[in-house]
Amino acid sequence: MGIVFYKEPELEAPLLIACWPGIGNIGIIAVDTLRKMLGAEELGEIEPWEFFYPRKVVIRDGVLKALEFPSSKFYFKRTYKGDLLFFIGEEQPGTGAKVYAEGTKAYKMANLVIDVAAKFGCKRIYTSGAAVAPIHHTTGSRVWVVPNSESLIKEMKGYPNTVLMSDIEGRGGQGNITGLNGLLLGVAKKRGIEAACLMGEIPIYLHGFPIPYPKGSKAVLRVLEMILGVEIDMTELDTFAKRTEKEIESIYHRLPAEIREHLDKLASMTYIKEAEPGPITEEDKRKILQEIDKLFKKEPGED
Amino acid sequence: MRTEITVKTRAKIFSRPEMQTASLIVTWMPDAGKVGVGVAEYLNKKLGGLVFAEIEPLEFFSLDGVSVEDDIAHFPETKFYCCPQKNLMIMKSDLPRFEWYDFLVTILDIAEEICKVKGIYVLGGMATASAHTVPRTLLTVANSSQTKRLVENYDVVSNMEYETPEGQRPTINSFLLWIAQQRGIPAINLWVQVPFYLVAIEDPQAWKKALDFLDRQLELGVDFSELNDRIARQNQRIAQGRSQHPDLDNCLSRLESNLGLSTSESERLIRQMEDLLR
Repeated sequence: MGIVFYKEPELEAPLLIACWPGIGNIGIIAVDTLRKMLGAEELGEIEPWEFFYPRKVVIRDGVLKALEFPSSKFYFKRTYKGDLLFFIGEEQPGTGAKVYAEGTKAYKMANLVIDVAAKFGCKRIYTSGAAVAPIHHTTGSRVWVVPNSESLIKEMKGYPNTVLMSDIEGRGGQGNITGLNGLLLGVAKKRGIEAACLMGEIPIYLHGFPIPYPKGSKAVLRVLEMILGVEIDMTELDTFAKRTEKEIESIYHRLPAEIREHLDKLASMTYIKEAEPGPITEEDKRKILQEIDKLFKKEPGED
Repeated sequence: MRTEITVKTRAKIFSRPEMQTASLIVTWMPDAGKVGVGVAEYLNKKLGGLVFAEIEPLEFFSLDGVSVEDDIAHFPETKFYCCPQKNLMIMKSDLPRFEWYDFLVTILDIAEEICKVKGIYVLGGMATASAHTVPRTLLTVANSSQTKRLVENYDVVSNMEYETPEGQRPTINSFLLWIAQQRGIPAINLWVQVPFYLVAIEDPQAWKKALDFLDRQLELGVDFSELNDRIARQNQRIAQGRSQHPDLDNCLSRLESNLGLSTSESERLIRQMEDLLR
C-alpha cells in the first residue's frame, strides 16, 4: 500500500485542500471546481486496491484488460499567491456497509494524505463537507468552520459568512464531522499540522436525498476565495445550482402540506444566534425528519 | 518472506502437501446452481481431497451471529483441500464481507507458498434464460492472451466482451483474476450458465460442464457415473412435474423454443421448481 508520484515538483509551503464525497457532495463539488478552475496538474495517487472494492472490469475478447478502482488523487498548482496541493478521493474507504470511512482503513488513508502534505512541507490543510442545518433551500448557505487548533479561530471567524460551532443554536460548540473530511483534521493535529474543515449548509430536509447541493458548495468556494486570495468564476456552479433547484422543488412539493408549512417558516428566517428561539422547534424537526424518511422510502413516482 | 507472514497470521496450516506446479480450483458459496460447492465436493469425493489449511474468519466475515441456511446454522469458512496425486488444490469458501484484497492475497499466498501453484481456475455460475434441456455453455475469461490459448481447443466461449454496467460492481472472481495477473500467475475464470429457475436450487448439469472441462484440462480422470445419475434423477423429477402441471410444462416449452417469459411467469416457474426439487 503506498503512493505513486507522477511528478516531483518543488513546492513552497503549500496549502493542501482535501476532500471526499459526503452529504450533498458539497465539499467535493467545491474542491473539484477550484481544482479545475486553477488548472491543477496531477501529482500522484494512493494505490487503491487495499482500500476499495473495484468498481469496473473491462474484458476484451475473453481477456481481462482492466480493473478500475475509485481514485484517490493528488494535484498541485503554483499560483502567484502561493503553492497549492489538492487531494480528491472519489470514495471514502469503508467496509462496504457504510458510506463514510471509519476504523483502520480510514486512519491509514488519512495518514497517507498527511504523509504527502508533510513531504511537500505543507503548512495548513483544509477539508470540506456539509453542515446539516435548519435552513430553507431558497435562502443562502453559511459555512461552518471547525479548526483543529485554537490559534485558527480568530482568522476563521474573520472570513465573511462563516460560523463556528459555538455560534449555532443549542450546540454549545459541540458536534461531529463524520468520515474522512473530519478525521483528517484529527490526524493532522496529531502530526502537528494546522487544519480546518469548511462545511457548507444543506437544508435539514434534503440531507437524506442523493442529490447534490451546489448552493452549499458555492458558499464554501466563496470562503476559499478569501483564504487563497484567488477569484473563482461561479458561472458553471450557478447553472448547476439552477438545475438542482428544480429537483429540490419537486421533492419539496411532495412533502405533506403540514410539514411544508413548518419548513416555509425557514425561508423568512434570519440566522439563528445562540439563545434566540428558532423558527422550528425540536419536535418540529423530529416530525419533519420522519416525513422525509417516509417520502424517501416510497417508490419513485409514488405520492 | 512476506507471503510467509500473511499465511502465518491469517491462516491455519494443518499440513504441507508435497506438490509441484499444482493447479488451484477456486469455488465460492453461495453460487448460482451451487456450481462452486457442487464441483468442489464432487472432486474432493472422487479424488480423495484432504483439508490442509483454512483462513481465519475474523478479518473477513461478519461474526455478529450465524446465518441459517437450509435449517442449519452456518459459520463462514474458507478451506483448502489437496489431491497430491493429481497435483491439485481446491478452495471452497464463503464470499468474504470485508478486506477483499487481503483475503484474495492470502489465498494466493497459500497457493504459491504451500502448493507451488502455477495455474488458477476460478469457478462461477451465471443465470441464463435458457431451459435446463439446453446444453450448458461454459464461458472463459483469462488474465492474459497466453493463458487464453490454453482453453481455445475446448468447447468454450472464449471471446467474451464485457464492461461492468453503471451501478454494479465486478465479481470477486474478476478481482482475484486481476491480483493473479499482477503476480504473474496464469488464471482463468470459468462461468457456467445455469437456467434461472435452478439458480437457487442446484444444477448438476452445470457442475458436469465445468468438471468435464477441468477433467480434460488437468487430466484428472474423474469418474462421472455418480454425477450422471444425479443429473438423470433431476431431469426425471422435472419431467414428472411437467406431466403433472401443464402451466409448468408450458413455461418450459416456451423457454425451449427461445420464447421469453413475463416477470410473473418467471417468478412462478422459480417457485414451482423449488417446490418440485427441494
